[in-house]
Amino acid sequence: MSTPTHLTRAISVIAHVDHGKTTLSDRLLEYTGTVAPRDMVEQVLDQLELERERGITIKAQAVRMLYKADDGNTYQINLIDTPGHVDFSYEVSRALAACDGAILVVDASQGIEAQTLANVHQALDHNLTIIPVVNKIDLPQGNPELVREEIEKVIGLPAESVIFASARQGIGTKEILEAVVHRVPPPTGDSGAPLRALIFDAKFDAYRGVVTYIRVLEGTLRPGMRIQMMQTGKSFEVDEVGIFRPERTPVEDLTAGEVGYLIANIRNVRDSRVGDTVTDEARPAAAPLPGYRHVTPMVFAGLFPTDTEQYEQLKEALEKLQLNDAALVYEPESSAALGFGFRCGFLGLLHMEIVQERLEREFNLTLLGTAPTVEYRVRLRSGEEVPVDNPDHLPDAGQIEAISEPMVLATIVVPSTYVGNMMELSQERRGQFLNMQYEPGDRVVITYRMPLAEIIHDYYDQLKSRSKGYASLNYEVVGFEEADLVKLDVLVAGSPVDALSMIVDRSKAQQQGRRLAEKLKTLIPRQLFEVPIQAAIGGKIVARETVPAMRKDVTAKCYGGDVTRKRKLLEKQKEGKKRLKRVGNVEIPQEAFMAVLSLD
Amino acid sequence: MERIHSLYLHVPFCTWVCKYCDFNAYAVLEGLIPPYVDALSHEIEVARAELPIGPLETVFIGGGTPSLLTRAQVRQVLDRVRATGLAPGAEVTLEANPSNVTPENVAGWLEAGVNRLSIGVQSLQPDALRFLERLHSGTDAIAAIRTARAGGFANVSADLLFGVPGVNVVAWLDTLESVLAEGVQHLSAYELTVESGTRLGQEVRTGLVHMPEADDQLEQYWAAAARLEAAGYDHYEISNWARPGFGCRHNLAAWNYQPYLGCGAGAHSMFGLDDRSTERRWNVKGPHAYIKHVSARGNALDGNETLSPERARGEAAMIGVRLLEGTDSARDFPEQRRHLVGAGLLLENAGQVRLTRRGVELANQVGAAFLS
Repeated sequence: MSTPTHLTRAISVIAHVDHGKTTLSDRLLEYTGTVAPRDMVEQVLDQLELERERGITIKAQAVRMLYKADDGNTYQINLIDTPGHVDFSYEVSRALAACDGAILVVDASQGIEAQTLANVHQALDHNLTIIPVVNKIDLPQGNPELVREEIEKVIGLPAESVIFASARQGIGTKEILEAVVHRVPPPTGDSGAPLRALIFDAKFDAYRGVVTYIRVLEGTLRPGMRIQMMQTGKSFEVDEVGIFRPERTPVEDLTAGEVGYLIANIRNVRDSRVGDTVTDEARPAAAPLPGYRHVTPMVFAGLFPTDTEQYEQLKEALEKLQLNDAALVYEPESSAALGFGFRCGFLGLLHMEIVQERLEREFNLTLLGTAPTVEYRVRLRSGEEVPVDNPDHLPDAGQIEAISEPMVLATIVVPSTYVGNMMELSQERRGQFLNMQYEPGDRVVITYRMPLAEIIHDYYDQLKSRSKGYASLNYEVVGFEEADLVKLDVLVAGSPVDALSMIVDRSKAQQQGRRLAEKLKTLIPRQLFEVPIQAAIGGKIVARETVPAMRKDVTAKCYGGDVTRKRKLLEKQKEGKKRLKRVGNVEIPQEAFMAVLSLD
Repeated sequence: MERIHSLYLHVPFCTWVCKYCDFNAYAVLEGLIPPYVDALSHEIEVARAELPIGPLETVFIGGGTPSLLTRAQVRQVLDRVRATGLAPGAEVTLEANPSNVTPENVAGWLEAGVNRLSIGVQSLQPDALRFLERLHSGTDAIAAIRTARAGGFANVSADLLFGVPGVNVVAWLDTLESVLAEGVQHLSAYELTVESGTRLGQEVRTGLVHMPEADDQLEQYWAAAARLEAAGYDHYEISNWARPGFGCRHNLAAWNYQPYLGCGAGAHSMFGLDDRSTERRWNVKGPHAYIKHVSARGNALDGNETLSPERARGEAAMIGVRLLEGTDSARDFPEQRRHLVGAGLLLENAGQVRLTRRGVELANQVGAAFLS
């Protein structure tokens, strides 16, 4: 059963969102007989219900395939499926670190996009052999030849190395497998050396504790060994090691080059961090594998139960979810407007949406999420520096020396027609233009340095709508930069609503305040009384709108036979109101708290 | 079970079903009237044996158009009611279409025991009557009131509609004035309401008809209220006004959450049970099915619901606050009362609450506050 090292391969499939990565992975599983066609559910590797529904990959997955090549040898191919979204780029990077090669999938009709480039750069950083594949060649609007030319000119991979495929129709599957066994080098690690295994994912299993996904780079891992996590220093005894076919299958050992899992009675995914190195406690390796990075949340938002009685349930739900999601952080928060809840940190907006959706769906909660913000660093006149991840906690203007905000390097890939629109949008969003490059296939790569806060405020949607959907975006955080920022407060019916505060660029503050007030006017339903909405900067009102009072709500006839119907109607209206959050006397819907996200 | 002192009888037949009407009413089924009247009498007889009914203080024959019944048929039904036990001085109302109010019918109804006539005038404006698809004229309606009074009815009520497209406040007050000049004892003025299942509902949805703005509807409502008050009528329920002592006792009983029995197609009943919960039940709506069920099993029950004491109290308050002279139906809801008083919708005095002017305009919001 064990495969000699020279017949072992470890690869990843990388692609921009929707270019067909997961479908291609499914075809490889089918072709190698790893999954019988009758067991084939679309997207075998996407295991979360949410992943299948949204057609996206959130967590990395791994599977071992056996492939009998044309040269007569049977190869062991370890396939690691990676998430496609920018929020999870660190997971992609760690998955790639566990591979020797990568299949790069490019859509025949979309061509190279921002994440294609980001993925290629990451793969090259890890010294991976790249096998370029042009996918969806069966689609009439595709232009495989042009995309092949793009791959050569933009990425620098020879045109003759490109494989044409249609994952949907199974075209090109065999060519890809042959390229994997012949072009990707076998692992070079020594199975006799001290153990070094890279953690590229971890998952919580209610019965077994944490299942740690690893690739053994050197040494051998067996049940019964005491292992140590080199970054956290924690030790565990290994109960089981195994491989994915694609379900977990125990094996006697995992040797250098092999991909699989270990179970060691670990109770929390935080003790099994992606990027950490597993070693033998009795015979530790001299140094951990390079590239470990502590994952830090980039986007913060408050999550509050709509029904205050659900606070404890929310707390338990977050604890449980965190067992499975090492990137999720949270701490208790109380808001004058919304009561008790949690300030949560996320990798990005998609991660935030997914967490909220999983909390509501899997734990049956009704939540109110406040608008996401970034973490600011505030230098006080006292010399002290404090992090601020909640706009309402910004110290008084008098105490502040300077405020810094996180900056990103944003890469936009777009057809040349839309370059003007992209530049206009990025300029509006305080972007600093860095570079622009024309590529074949009428494609322009533009780079900007801009505040992360601008990106999370509707930038991506605007990018898409101002390019008729053609633009793609990738970004990475590149540090902090001082900016002239102020806090914008919102008063509803005369009382400040802390959950609606935002930190904005001073020069745009007044305009933003006006837009926010206008927007809230349309989102807050009419109440029994008139509701003034004001925006204020440092106590000075800069905008005011009014939601007029409800004019009339009275039934003309209410006789004996009408009572049941009328009661049911009023009960139904009342049920609908439960989704609103009562702030003082005013009932505010969830959308109002998200209004700050789209003020353009 | 509490004793039942109120009886509602439904007559679901009309010559024409007006486009705004969503009551349980059917045109072109007049041939069914004789077997229907038999079934109605039979249902009352069976109910009497099973429920603690009587002596009846109020009887209300509503519709549809009960005045389509012959005098003999009205008599047949009321004879059955009398056999059930009618209190001396009981209020016996018949709803009548102006076209049916002839001297002969008036005499016959009085003789059968009817002592209150509720006439569906709706409007006196020719355009409004056409829009509403009423088959009588304004002149017919005034004549009907006069005939009823001349024939001996000392308690006459008129139903009117306001907020009709194309009728401004001046024209509406004109109608009201002419009806008041006839000296009616009671008046119901309803805002024309668009119900989704009606032809009017469809016309509004498709943009064929535009309903007046809320401000205009309220202007007509309050103008009428002021005029009626000046003329000496008490505004005792949101849509009802009466000379002192002439409030509709039948409806007042229901608004005060007293039990009632409803017989006839689609009629609802409400009883207070011994454990303080409330039972509502209702009959099948279609006249054919009603006749069939009553002849087969003596009743035509179609559904029921039992409300817990708490829920029943909420419902009682929801209905009770519509009584504008004050109600203690909200006594078990101190917190809601405080909130509504604070919001300017309720006035509280010695344990009684009543709607403010603004509370009347938002009466559903007030009512909903007592539901959970």
